[in-house]
Amino acid sequence: MTTVHVQYYAILREQARASRETVTTRAQTAAALYAELTARHGFTLAESLMKVAINGEFAPWASVLNDGDEIVYIPPVAGG
Amino acid sequence: MAATFSFASKPVDPAAETGRVADPACGGFVSFEGWVRDENEGQRVLGLDYEAYVDLAVREGERIVAEALRRFGVRHVRCVHRIGALSLGELAVWVGVSAPHRAEAFAACRYVIDEVKHRVPIWKKEHYAGGDSGWVNCERCAQPTAAGGQHDHAHHQGHDHGHAQPHAPAAVLPPSDYSRQKQLREIGEAGQERLRRARVLVVGAGGLGVPVLGYLAGAGVGVLGIMDGDTLSPSNLHRQTLYALGDVGQPKALLATRRLRALNPDVDVRPFVERATAASLAPLVGDYDVVVDCSDNFATAFAVHDAARQAGVAAVFASIYQYEGQLQVVRGGGAGSCLRCVWETATPDGVVGNCAEAGVLGPVPGVLGSLQAMETLKLLLDLPGTLTDEVLLVDLLSLETRRLRAPRNRACSQGCVRLGQQPAESVELRFASLDEVAAAGYLLVDIRNDDEVAGRPPPVASVHVPMQRLLDHPEIIEGRGRTVLMCARGSRSRGTTEALRARGLQTVWSLEGGLEAYLAEAGAAIGADSDA
Repeated sequence: MTTVHVQYYAILREQARASRETVTTRAQTAAALYAELTARHGFTLAESLMKVAINGEFAPWASVLNDGDEIVYIPPVAGG
Repeated sequence: MAATFSFASKPVDPAAETGRVADPACGGFVSFEGWVRDENEGQRVLGLDYEAYVDLAVREGERIVAEALRRFGVRHVRCVHRIGALSLGELAVWVGVSAPHRAEAFAACRYVIDEVKHRVPIWKKEHYAGGDSGWVNCERCAQPTAAGGQHDHAHHQGHDHGHAQPHAPAAVLPPSDYSRQKQLREIGEAGQERLRRARVLVVGAGGLGVPVLGYLAGAGVGVLGIMDGDTLSPSNLHRQTLYALGDVGQPKALLATRRLRALNPDVDVRPFVERATAASLAPLVGDYDVVVDCSDNFATAFAVHDAARQAGVAAVFASIYQYEGQLQVVRGGGAGSCLRCVWETATPDGVVGNCAEAGVLGPVPGVLGSLQAMETLKLLLDLPGTLTDEVLLVDLLSLETRRLRAPRNRACSQGCVRLGQQPAESVELRFASLDEVAAAGYLLVDIRNDDEVAGRPPPVASVHVPMQRLLDHPEIIEGRGRTVLMCARGSRSRGTTEALRARGLQTVWSLEGGLEAYLAEAGAAIGADSDA
């Protein structure tokens, strides 16, 4: 099990009803965790539309999670 | 198509003027008439005299009607202004615009009357009931407010606002004062001069655009382009603080232009009342030092990005969602990471909500737009700390900001812009004959080696630049317009074309089949002729 801190922005924050949470998960990668969180929170945005940053840097979805990682899921935003 | 401006010393006949803009290609005609009104600032007006510095006024008037023709794509623009003595109710100014469709005719007509009142040097002497009279300089008394330049001696149809604007006699404006920013050690006179020479294009004059435009105009940026095809809606006003309720329905680019010219007459403000698209941006972007994307949709942001990246111009992006925003600065000259390094392709609009769908609190674009203005000034002034290969996330509820590193995509050097665009158009062109290459406006560049050229000289005029030399020095053909590369059979030219396009040269093509295809055809054609 890995424990990570997850930060949500924009529509994800709305759907998760929280801007951050700490998650203990069996998921190995950022993508697997997103799938797990999607199942839990009902996220409507597909992974293909999203970006993920780990510990302050945009990272591939296949990145392996480590204990204590700061994960930020970032949806695209267009308003002006 | 015609754009004319003139003065008339005798009464103007609207029917005759209308006939002069009639055109079977036009489905819409809009005219405006300004009439002499009986009251001004509480004084009864009996009549008035108009005087103009005719040479100067005609030149400025002609400039305005030409601008209207160009900006709105209408077919005919005509403006006639009276000079001399006019009595009550008399026609003082007539504007007529004809166009294929009504929307552009309305917009162009409005533009002409507003600009004429604001810019054309015309004075009027009002004769009041008490026997007094007074001169009013139109240019000055049209001290622009958000409600527009409609100070009114002439009553315009559909009179839609009051007379809150003071009709004070010409007051000389004080010069723009940049002392507070020049006091900063990093700026000073030299920095101010840099700003004066700077040129910034702002795409979108909405929630983000308003603070960007206000701060850049205030800072004395020399040229400010404003591209926005929208008109003001009442729902914009809670976050777009440059505008007023009385402005609703008018093009934002023009409203912003008027406000910014009033804010700082030093700034050359250039409105473009059109949607930002690849086609409308391409010819403009290269004229600017920085492009600021203040649009509200992905398609426009990516169009701005691609145009800026291809022109090597720096671009500052921001977007917002409810209480949050994202900020990214893309450097000029193709350096660093780009928008497509982070988001390969534009998210289809509608997938995530915009301000109309998701809601937004006014200060959110205010903050993000202010950050864009700040980043733009940092770029122009070479100040430290510019967001570099990063994305800034701002959450205004928690007041947390996050600066995420966004490294340059390895493919970016080969053109993120190109990779993101689909479908890739063919780089190969085929012509009826080699003569057609020049006739179609292309420069023919022979990339074969010296021996090949000596052995089989090209049968038409061409420039000889061997392949390797062209690859080492693509600048040889840069700026020479559309170029067709030719080799013997079309394969080296195709590879070279693709390599040059990946480096950002988009106006280069490959001659399909190479020289041999055309020599063979020429031979066949000669044979056919001799048979006839």
